Amino acid sequence: MEGLSVVLALVVLVIITIGMGVRIVPQGSKHIVQRLGKYHSTLNPGMNIIIPYVDQVPYKITTKDIVLDIPSQEVITEDNATIIANAVAYINIVSPEKAVYGVEDYEIAIQNLVQTALRSIVGEMSLDSALSSRDMIKAKLKEAISDDIADWGINLKTVEIQDINPSATMQKAMEEQAAAERQRRATVTRAEGEKQAAILEADGRLEASKRDAKAQVVLADASREAIERVTQAIGEKELPVMYLLGERYINALEELSTSDNAKNLIFPADLPHAVKGLLNR
Amino acid sequence: MLEWLNTHIAYWHWLVLGLLLITAEIFVSGFILFWFGLAALFMGVLLLAVGMPITLQLLFWAGLSVALVVLWLKYIRPNWKDRTTSGMAMEALTGQVGSVIESNIGRSRGRLRFPAPILGEDEWQFMSTSEVAVGVRVKVINISGNTLVVSPH
Repeated sequence: MEGLSVVLALVVLVIITIGMGVRIVPQGSKHIVQRLGKYHSTLNPGMNIIIPYVDQVPYKITTKDIVLDIPSQEVITEDNATIIANAVAYINIVSPEKAVYGVEDYEIAIQNLVQTALRSIVGEMSLDSALSSRDMIKAKLKEAISDDIADWGINLKTVEIQDINPSATMQKAMEEQAAAERQRRATVTRAEGEKQAAILEADGRLEASKRDAKAQVVLADASREAIERVTQAIGEKELPVMYLLGERYINALEELSTSDNAKNLIFPADLPHAVKGLLNR
Repeated sequence: MLEWLNTHIAYWHWLVLGLLLITAEIFVSGFILFWFGLAALFMGVLLLAVGMPITLQLLFWAGLSVALVVLWLKYIRPNWKDRTTSGMAMEALTGQVGSVIESNIGRSRGRLRFPAPILGEDEWQFMSTSEVAVGVRVKVINISGNTLVVSPH
């Protein structure tokens, strides 16, 4: 009977020992083995055998990518504008033993590193360039902290800037600036239009007066021509002219007589003489 | 004691022990007890055919169990390859061969390019104990943060 008890105890011990000694590590994580408190090895996914009673597995580390949210913070740019920026970092633990023994809490450590690096990078940029060049900030961030975290066996896959927003007062000022700029452009455009219109109008006037002058010259030329011809035609003869003028004169007087306010009309007696007076002969 | 065991241990004891051990395997992860159970089942079948003293039975069982476990651990399991290296950055990168696009001569680090992206990047910084010229093919032996440690291939 005693023998059976011993055998049973032995069987239980063997079963527990085997259960402790065989470690199944799931894909996507790695386990750290300490032998009597000292680092011994890292267990890869699959079945692993450790020595029970002297080996422990104090840390189970995921080797999948970890998404780290970097809390938003106020950052002051080179031109003293305040912007609010937050980011997200993707890290991967390459050497679990370094991550476990190299730093107390790698997540907090990396969050703080990214925050401070982001502050210093944006602090060297003007507001406008910080708002427009995210890719550059990303590249600089990655460069800045990848060496620091190399010691902890962590690979920084990427850092993405999520939001980068000017503070409320800054945003208001920017909107006002944009509105004023548009206003300025509108005014300039209007003035330009007016100037253009005035120039065109003056051009028109100039052109018109040029043509008027030309027309007067042409008219004068024509009058001269006509007078010359008449003069030539008349020559030294007086009578035809006298006749024509006399007729006109009488016609004019007739027209005068038909007007409403004409009371009396006096015809000159010596019509030829009157006409001569017109002719100044 | 021995006589009592010799007279009272029948073939079905071995069968029950085998079944119990295989059942225990479910609660104890590791796939080791299974082989002890299998050996016990085999002993049960063997006892049906030939009788033998208990010491010989135990010896046989122990020997067979150890042989099965060794066979499993040494010859069968190592042939089960890693089917994926996803989520295993170290394994995915070490042993990869890339070509140098920026030499590390006169500087601490150069750049190399892999034919296909690994861990989401096809261009990596590298460090090496030897100076390598542009175009040389190098093999990754270790990773330090975002920098690879390489040796000429």
